[in-house]
Amino acid sequence: MIILDKKQLITGCIFFVMLMLAWYWSLFVVTTEEHQGDVYRIIYLHVPSVFTAFLSAFILLCMSILGLWKKSYKSVQVGLASAEVGLLFTFLGLATGSIWGKPTWGTWWTWDARLTTTFILALLYCGYILLWNSVQSNLMRIKVCSVLGIMIAANIPIIYKSVTWWRTLHQPPSIFRRGGSSMSPEILSLLLINIAIMLAIGIWLIIQRYKNITLGEDLEEESYLQIRQQEGG
Amino acid sequence: MLSIKSLSFAFQHRPLFKEINFDLVPGKLVHLIGENGTGKSTFLSLIAGFRTPNEGSISYFNDKGEEVDDRRVYIEYLSAEANGLYTKMDATQNLTFWSKLRGHKYSTQQMVEELKKWGLGHPLVRTNFAVEKFSTGMKRRLALARLNLSACPCWLLDEPIYGLDTKGIDLFKSAILNHKESGGMAFIVSHDTYPLKELIDEKIEIGAK
Amino acid sequence: MNTIFKNQYYLILKHGIKMELADKERLISPILFATTMLILFAFGIGETSEDLIIKIFLAQTFLTLLFSLQITFARIFDPDEKDKVFQLLQCYPINHAAWFLGKYTLVILVGSLVLVPTMLLAGLLNHNPKAPLLTPEIFLIAFLALAGLASIGVLLSAMTLKASGREVLFPLIYFPLSTPVLLAAIQSSQVLLSGNNSDILWQWVGLLVCFDVIYVTLGILLFGELAGSE
Repeated sequence: MIILDKKQLITGCIFFVMLMLAWYWSLFVVTTEEHQGDVYRIIYLHVPSVFTAFLSAFILLCMSILGLWKKSYKSVQVGLASAEVGLLFTFLGLATGSIWGKPTWGTWWTWDARLTTTFILALLYCGYILLWNSVQSNLMRIKVCSVLGIMIAANIPIIYKSVTWWRTLHQPPSIFRRGGSSMSPEILSLLLINIAIMLAIGIWLIIQRYKNITLGEDLEEESYLQIRQQEGG
Repeated sequence: MLSIKSLSFAFQHRPLFKEINFDLVPGKLVHLIGENGTGKSTFLSLIAGFRTPNEGSISYFNDKGEEVDDRRVYIEYLSAEANGLYTKMDATQNLTFWSKLRGHKYSTQQMVEELKKWGLGHPLVRTNFAVEKFSTGMKRRLALARLNLSACPCWLLDEPIYGLDTKGIDLFKSAILNHKESGGMAFIVSHDTYPLKELIDEKIEIGAK
Repeated sequence: MNTIFKNQYYLILKHGIKMELADKERLISPILFATTMLILFAFGIGETSEDLIIKIFLAQTFLTLLFSLQITFARIFDPDEKDKVFQLLQCYPINHAAWFLGKYTLVILVGSLVLVPTMLLAGLLNHNPKAPLLTPEIFLIAFLALAGLASIGVLLSAMTLKASGREVLFPLIYFPLSTPVLLAAIQSSQVLLSGNNSDILWQWVGLLVCFDVIYVTLGILLFGELAGSE
C-alpha cells in the first residue's frame, strides 16, 4: 500500500527549488557585509533555522492545549511531528551558530543567552520525543505528552529570561549584535525571504512527518487485521 | 440503574465488542461470560472509566432516577490482578484511608466489625502487620471489605473470589446478598462460576460474534 | 465542596507522611546520596583560593540539592504505583487540586529533610573567613527553589508513572526544566553573599518567585488531566 500524494510532492519540490534559489542568492549574489566578510552569510541558514525551531515549539504548545481540550490523538501525533522537526532545526541552528561563532567570537561555543536557550530547547525536544515513545496507550499519550508540551512552552520564556540576565549581568555585551539597525535593507529583505521559505519548509515537513506517523499506525492496524484474518480462516 | 447504550470498543485495532445495549437494574448481579481475551475486563474498565468507548455511552442513575454526573461516587472497582492496597500500611490504615476518601466517617468500632466479618479481626492482624505480609487470600478479603464499606451502588468485580478459601467465598456470597438486598448492583467476571451459581441473575456474553 | 477539599487534602498529606515514615529507606537514601555528592565535590575541587569559596560553595550546594531532590521527586508516587493503587485512586471521587496540593506539600516536607542537612553539611565543609556562608536568606532562597522544583517533580512523577524506563526519563526531562531555578538560586545567593547590588538580587529573586507561581499554577491545572480517569 503506497500512497503518493502528488500535490504534497509538488509543493515540496517547489519549496526545495525556492530554497535553492534563495541560497544561491545568499551565497553568490548579495553583497558582503563590511565588518564580518563572507562569514556573515551563514545567517541566511542560522536565523531561519532558529525561527523554525521556535515555530515548532509554538505549534507544539497549540497542539498540546488542543490535545487536552479535545482529547484528540491527532493533536499529539502532530505534536510529535513538530517536536521532531523542531529538534532537527534546533540542531541546525546550534551547529550553524557554533560554526559562525568560531570566526566572529573566536570560539566554537560561548554561553551566549540565545545559544544556551536553544541548547536547552533541544534537550526538551529530546525529552518530549522519548516520553512519547515510552508511553504505550493512546489516551495516556494524549494526557502525558500534552502536559509536557505545555510545560516546555511555559518554560521557554523563563529559561530565556534567566539566561539573558545571567549573561548580561556577568559578561560585557558582545561587540557584534545580530540583527539590529546596522543591517542593510538588501541583507534584511533577503533574510526575511529565507526565513519565510524555511518556515514554510518546516510546516511542510511537520505535515509530512505527521502523515508518516499515521501511516505507520495504519500499517500496524493492517497487520493486526491480517493476523486476525489468518486466525479466522 | 446503569444504562449502556450501543457501546463499541476496539483495543489495538481489534474490535472487541460492538453495539452493546444493556440496563443494569438495582438488585441484580450480572455475570459477564466469554473466552479468554474477549474483553470482559476491558468492558469493566470502560464502565469504571479507565478507557473511553469508541462509540456509545454509559449513564449512571441514582435510586430517584436522576443521572449521576460523577461516575466515581457510583462505582467501586475491584481489579483482577491487584487489590489496590498500600502494601506498607496495615489493614485498618488502608480501610480508613479509602473510606475517608469517599467521605465516609466510620467509627473505629465499625471498622473492627467489618474486619471481623472478613476474618481479619484479630488485633495483631488488624493493626500490626503491613499488608505486604498478608497472604493472597487475606489481601483479597481486605479489598472486599473496602468494597463493602464503599457504599457505592454499583460494584465492578473482576475475578473477586480469586485466592479465597471456601470460608472466604461464603463471606463474599453473603456480602453480595446484602448488597443486592439494599438495592445495589454488580457486574462480575469470574471463571469459577460454581460457587456463585445461586447469586447470578443474568448473563451477558462479551465478544459474541 | 470546601470541606471536601480540605478533608481530602489533609487525608492525602497525612497518609503520605505515614507512608514515608513506614519506609525509612526512602527517606534516608537521598540524604546519603547528598552527603556522598558533597564529599565527591570536595575531592574533585580540592583546595581553593579564598575569592572562589562563595562560588564553589553555592555551585556545590545547589547542584547537590538539585540531584538529590530529583531522587525524592521521582519516587513520590512509588507507594501509589504498587498494587494498582493509582488506578483505584483515579476512580475515587477525589478533588484533583487537593490531591496535587497534598502530594506537593508532602514533597516539600520530605524535600526539606534533604535540603536542611545538605546545606548544613555544605556550610560545615566550606569555610569562608570573611562572612558566614549559611545565612537565613540563603535558606530562604533554597526553599523558594524547592517550592518550584517540587511542583515540576510531582507533575513529572505522575507523568512518567506509566512510561517505560522512567528512571532515565525523569531526570532527562526534569533537569532542563529546572535550569532557571538553578540559575536564579545560585545567582541570587551569590549577589547576597558577596554583598553587591541589591537591584540585581531582586531581579533574580523575582525570577525564582515567578517560576514558583507559574509551576504551582500549572501543577494545579494540569495534574487533574493526569489523574483523571478519562
